[in-house]
Amino acid sequence: MHDIADLEGRGLIGVFLASSEFRDAAEAQSVALGLAVPYVLVPHPIQDRTDEEMQALADEAYAAVLAAVTSQGG
Amino acid sequence: MVVLKRDCPTCLLIEPVLHQLADAGTLTAYSQDDPAFPADLKVVDDRELEMSWRLQLDTVPTLLRVEQGVEVERVVGWLRTSWESLTGVTGLGPDLPDHRPGCGSKSVEWGVEAELDRRYGDAILGSRTVELADLEDEVEAAYARGWTDGLPVVPPTESRVLAMLTGTTRAPSEVVAVVPPDLAECTVEKVAINAVLAGCLPEHLPVVLAAVEAACTDAFNIHGLLATTFPAGPVLVVNGPIATALGMNGRGNALGQGNRANATIGRAVQLVVRNVGGGRPGGVDRATQGQPGKYTACFTEAEDGSPFEPLAASRGVPGNALTLFAGSGWWPVVDQRSRHPESLARSFAASLRGVAHPKLAIAFDAMLVICPEHGRVLREAGWDRARLLTELEELLTVPGGELVEGAGGIAEGLPAGFADTPIPKFRPGGLLLVHAGGGAGMFSTVIPGWVSGPGGSEPTTVPIP
Amino acid sequence: MRVLMDPTSELVPATRTLTPRPASLDGLTVGLLDISKARGDVLLDRLQERLAADGVTVRRYAKPTFAKPAPVDLRHEIAVQCEVVIEALAD
Repeated sequence: MHDIADLEGRGLIGVFLASSEFRDAAEAQSVALGLAVPYVLVPHPIQDRTDEEMQALADEAYAAVLAAVTSQGG
Repeated sequence: MVVLKRDCPTCLLIEPVLHQLADAGTLTAYSQDDPAFPADLKVVDDRELEMSWRLQLDTVPTLLRVEQGVEVERVVGWLRTSWESLTGVTGLGPDLPDHRPGCGSKSVEWGVEAELDRRYGDAILGSRTVELADLEDEVEAAYARGWTDGLPVVPPTESRVLAMLTGTTRAPSEVVAVVPPDLAECTVEKVAINAVLAGCLPEHLPVVLAAVEAACTDAFNIHGLLATTFPAGPVLVVNGPIATALGMNGRGNALGQGNRANATIGRAVQLVVRNVGGGRPGGVDRATQGQPGKYTACFTEAEDGSPFEPLAASRGVPGNALTLFAGSGWWPVVDQRSRHPESLARSFAASLRGVAHPKLAIAFDAMLVICPEHGRVLREAGWDRARLLTELEELLTVPGGELVEGAGGIAEGLPAGFADTPIPKFRPGGLLLVHAGGGAGMFSTVIPGWVSGPGGSEPTTVPIP
Repeated sequence: MRVLMDPTSELVPATRTLTPRPASLDGLTVGLLDISKARGDVLLDRLQERLAADGVTVRRYAKPTFAKPAPVDLRHEIAVQCEVVIEALAD
């Protein structure tokens, strides 16, 4: 999240993805950084997912990712 | 009521007296450090020192009699006769000495009082405050919010701003100017905050205030100066004893870096324009190329040994004063051979012809900064400001035919109608002369100006109160 | 809590804002930054496929470790080469 905050400061458009377990940490870090960094959550767990499951998570998250980096949702 | 602290031998000494008073009537004790002392008494926790501050205590223990919320009487330290008189209770502390001085109140410890003034006093500062996130670096925070000119600024904490405001007796809420382009009201406080950003000391503030007021006049036209594609910015020349008092530089490298007053006063004015006025590059500031003087351009004259009286005095404002001039990119005039003012004046004129464009005349102003070695040539020949200006005007008047559009194969120039008239380079009053620089080096400087007249900028001289 | 006095005219809010978003990703380069936690690369591979299928130019990057912010050289490289960055996958 610090990376995205830094890159936003350099004029880039950023978003980061995290597992749903990360929500509270994301909110806290956002406050600490003073910047509402956009993030998209994917359902926990992550570590033991098969490739097919990870690809499905990516597909499910795709629309939200586009919405976070464009003004009209892609 | 009594205000005390445990960390005080006198307060410990009088503990039995406090019990006597509590038994005899209502006594409320306020503790500055340990509400558990004295034991078995009604003790209010004043570790935040709010009551101590409101009572303006400097010593503990202090005994007060309060009737219907109003203080009637107080005794500082332990003095049996006074305590008995105040409370109406006799036989206090029979085993104690008759008197014992107290200790310093925690509310007046070094640094604490100022913090309590800030915390409990009436709010002096009215500006919006910006809370920094835990991980935010103060210097980066200013960059992130667009408050800087590209160089780092001093983070404007409340205490720094309060300290800066000690540099003026004007009220923080007083409106100094309406700053273009946003036409925002700029208070003394806002100038002070930007003076903090710039790195000013409190004693610099009166100069910054005078400069902001002068810049925002219709005559100086900071708005036009900001919005033009021409690369100009305000140049400040400070005159009078205040320049020496502030340690300003009118000598070696006066037009360059290194002197705090020179650097920060000029910078503060630019930051006010940027932050309060909203004028920034990419926005209303449309300068095509700009020039480094837009960071800061502020100096004083070398008044001692000058062939002239100070610039401000020559413009009708003697003593502490400043002149604001709309200046663009500066260049040196090299003349290491002229022993006589006639020759030197010709060097100056030749260089001044290039202001804006050799074929443009009257519209653009200029400032000539004469170095002491050149000044000596003038002084030894008895040439004062008027004499030099007269000579320069004559040298700089050329046949209009040389200046018109197309003349010399150059499309730029004056309209064809000027072909048959002699044309002076500068309008009356459009060439300003100042004297500054170190003692060695025969290099003066031309500061070309911007346009004068409606839509342009008029050099503006104001007193510094 | 650290507080600074606002030097501006206060006509706009003082909070940090995000970079303005474009209407679409047309013509922009998207950087995919892998924080190097397990399985994140698979997710980023799929996002890359989707973006490429939508005609978006994509570049891939990876942090040496998820435990620290990306090295400054990497951040600079991304900033120079991309307009958009998607970082994944924290858990």
